[in-house]
Amino acid sequence: MKTVMHKAPRHWTAHMLAALAVLLMGGVAQAQEYVKVENVPREQLPAPQFVGAAYGFIMVAMLVYVFVVARRLAKTRGDIAELRGRLERLAGPAERR
Amino acid sequence: MSTVGRGFALAVIAAIAGFLVVPLLIVSAPVEPVMGLVQKIFYFHVPCAIMMFLSTFVAAAGSLSYLFKGAERGDRLAHAAGELGVLFGACVLVTGPLWGRKAWGVWWQWDARLTSSLLLFLILNGYLLARRYGGPAGKKLAAALSLFAAVDVPLVYKSVDIWRTVHPQTTVVPSLDPAMRPAFWASFALITLVWGILLVLRLRLEDARATVEELQLMADDLAEES
Repeated sequence: MKTVMHKAPRHWTAHMLAALAVLLMGGVAQAQEYVKVENVPREQLPAPQFVGAAYGFIMVAMLVYVFVVARRLAKTRGDIAELRGRLERLAGPAERR
Repeated sequence: MSTVGRGFALAVIAAIAGFLVVPLLIVSAPVEPVMGLVQKIFYFHVPCAIMMFLSTFVAAAGSLSYLFKGAERGDRLAHAAGELGVLFGACVLVTGPLWGRKAWGVWWQWDARLTSSLLLFLILNGYLLARRYGGPAGKKLAAALSLFAAVDVPLVYKSVDIWRTVHPQTTVVPSLDPAMRPAFWASFALITLVWGILLVLRLRLEDARATVEELQLMADDLAEES
C-alpha cells in the first residue's frame, strides 16, 4: 500500500512534464517554421561597378607606385651627382698635395 | 643604350601593350553562369595573389643570403621584393572583398583563406616597418620576419583544402573553362611582367641608395684628411 501511495504522485508529475514538453516542442517548431513571402525586393548590386572598381584600383596602385619609385630614384641619382661633384672638389687639393 | 637598358625598355613597351590587349581578352571571355560578370575580377585577382607569394619567396631568399652570408645585395633584393609583396597584397585584399560583396553578399569573412592572406599582408608590412624603425638591428629583425612570411605562404595556399571556407578552392585554375584560359594566362603573363619591371626599378633604387652611402663615406673620409 505504501508503495502504491508513493508511485501515484510520481506518475502524475511525469504526465504533466510530458504534456509540457509536447506543448513546448510545438511552440519551438512553430517558431522555426519558414514562411514563404512573395514579392520580397532582392538586393541588386551592379556588377560592372565592382569589376570597374577592382581593375581601377589595380591600375591606380601600379601607376602611383611607379611614380613614387621613379621620383625617389631621380632624387637619389641627384644625390649621387652632387656627392660625386663634392668628391671631385675634395680630391682636387689632395691630389695637388 | 646598353643591352640591359634595351631589354628593360622592351619590357615596358610590352607591358603597355599588354594593358591595352588583356582587358579586351577579359571582356571577350565568356561570362560565368553562376557569379555573372563579377567573376571577371578573378583574371587580375589570382595573378596578383601569385605575385604576392612570389614576392614573399624572393624576399625570404634574399633575407636568407643576407642572414647567413652577409650579402648586402640579398638584403636589397629582399627589401625590393618585400615592398612589392605589400603592393600586390593590397591589390588582392581590395579586389577580393569587391568580388565577395557581389558573390557572397558580404565584404569580408573571417575564414581560413582570407584571414591567412591578411596575416601574410601584415607580416610583410611588419617587415617594412622593422626595416624603417628597427634601428641598427632592424635589417636582421626584418630578415627574420620575411622568413615567417614565407612559411605563411603554403598555409595561405592550402587553407582552402584543409579548412572549410567560402573561398573557391585551388582546383579553380586547373579546371578553368577552355574559353576562359587565354584571358587568364594573358593576364597572368602581364602581371608577371609588371612585377618583373617593378622589381628591377625598385632594385635600381636600392642600388642607387647603396651608392649614395658609399660616396658619403668616401666624402667624409676625404673631408677628414683635408
